Order: sequence, then structure tokens, then C-alpha cells
Amino acid sequence: MSQTYDPAAIMNNPDTHSGVTNAKLGVWLFLASEIMLFATLFTSYIVLRMASTSWPWGWDVLNVPLATVNTVVLIGSSMTIVMAYARAYDKDKGGFQKWMAATILLSLAFLVIKGFEYGPKFAAGIGPHTSVFYAIYFTMTGLHAIHIVGGIAVNAGLLYMSTVDGHWKNPLFLGRVEGAGLYWHFVDIVWIFLFPALYLL
Amino acid sequence: MSKNPDAATHDEHRPNVALYVKVFAALMALTLITVAISKIHLPPAQAVSLGLFVALIKAALVAALFMHLWGENKLIHKALWVTVGLGAALILPIIDFVLISGQHTSRADVANQHPPGHAEPATEGH
Repeated sequence: MSQTYDPAAIMNNPDTHSGVTNAKLGVWLFLASEIMLFATLFTSYIVLRMASTSWPWGWDVLNVPLATVNTVVLIGSSMTIVMAYARAYDKDKGGFQKWMAATILLSLAFLVIKGFEYGPKFAAGIGPHTSVFYAIYFTMTGLHAIHIVGGIAVNAGLLYMSTVDGHWKNPLFLGRVEGAGLYWHFVDIVWIFLFPALYLL
Repeated sequence: MSKNPDAATHDEHRPNVALYVKVFAALMALTLITVAISKIHLPPAQAVSLGLFVALIKAALVAALFMHLWGENKLIHKALWVTVGLGAALILPIIDFVLISGQHTSRADVANQHPPGHAEPATEGH
């Protein structure tokens, strides 16, 4: 007996007794696990900082102007990805591609600026082994940067898929863009807390 | 459970570009405020409280309006409340540690616990 299999019908099926699609619920549960991951790291940061007899002020040991520029870049990318979603919602392929490309460029700019921040540290022999402060600094900003790389891969994949009619016209596509956007905004929120915690306070 | 299959199949949120622009402007302004707070040399407790309060406002704006949590389905809200509860269970127990840590790890306290001339015997290596 053969049965027709329609992935769009399954993934977009709102019948989780709640009206939420399986895909969106999955993205949110993934983000919930990510929240716990970063909550663990922030807890470690608080314990290490409070137990330390001295803790450097970010302005003295880190490049705060570069980190401030990176904050603006990342918030800008949150704006561009939400604009990409708005264009995809209106079935404006050109607009979607323009805003998604801008998001990817801003994400790459974030990593390049991060490289300028890390570079002089490594050149001076400063690394996670240097002190408790640098251990938590490199761990948290490094893990965040890995999340940025993951986001770039997903967003680049969506940009490519938008060039293929079969994907662009797929009823799943808008949900995929929304899911990618949720992840990207989460990465932005993590940075919103990392920036003052490590660099400013 | 939604009885309207059309509305439920398209459960993506209708974008509001004008609102997004306002949120973006607010996030930029709050970023400048965060940097300014760190430059005015408040006492550490006030600086940290104020800085994290501004960060909370920024995060709330992103979550509520960019991530469309405002008006999102109740199931998503419930899942996130469970997460917040678990996160609080992780962080709240250390409040006690934070409150007492200043007394036990200040330089003076460490010096009191380890006065000169009363060095503990070195642990032999294996």
C-alpha cells in the first residue's frame, strides 16, 4: 500500500494541539536549550568574578571601541534579517535577497572585527591560560563567535535556496526564514548581555 | 487548537516594518546609554545593576518585537517560562555566594586567613 508523503504538510502542520507548527516549536525548544547553555556560562562568570580578589575593568584590558562597533553591527544585522523576513512574507524575492545578503555581510564584519580584537591579544601571548578573566572572556566570546558562524551558514543556505524556484515557492520557506531569524536574534541577545558583562562593568 | 486551518498553516507573524525601525533606533540609543554608564564611574554595584537593567530592556525589545514573542502562541510562552524557571534554579542559589563572597575573598580577609609566618605546609606532589 502506497501512501503519499508531503513534507510540507507535516512540517507546517499546526496540529500540535496548540496551533504552532512543528518546525517553529522545534526552533524554540532548541533556543531553550541554548538559553540553559549560556545561563551556565553566565553563572560561572558570576562565581569566578565574585570569588576573585581582583577583576580587571574592561576598558583597561579590552578594546571597548571595537566591541561597541561590533554591538552596532550585530544589532544592525538583527534589523536586516527581520527586514529579510518582511520581504519574504510579501513574496518579494529581490528584497529578501538584498536584506539577507546584508545580514550575511554584517555577520562577516562582526567576525572580522572580532579577529582584530583577538589578534593583538594572541600576538602579545595573551590567551585563555593567562588569567581567570581571560579564560571566561575567550570561552564566552569564542562560543558566541561559533554561533555566529553557524548563523552565517544557515543564512547563506537560505539565500542560495531563494535563487531556486522550487525552494522559494515552497510553503515551508517563510517558516525557515522565521526560524533562522529567531536563532539570529537569540545570538544578538547573548551579545547584548556579554558586551556589558565583559567589556564595560 | 486552531480551528482555522488557513490561519494555522501560516502561523508566521505579519511584519511591521515601522515598528522594527523604532526598535532598531531604541536599541542603538540604549547601546550608547550602556557605554555612557560604564564611563561615569558609578560604584560597582550600581554600575552593574544599571548596566544589566539596560541590557534586560534591550533583550526584551528584541525578544518581544523582533522575535514576535509579543502575541506568540501560549505553548511557546509556556516552554520559555519553564526555561526561565530552570535558569533561575541555576542562578538563584549563587546569590548567597555573591553576598558573602566579598567578606571571604577580599584582600584583607585572605590576609587574615593566611597570616605571614603561618604558612601551611606545601602539599607534596605525586
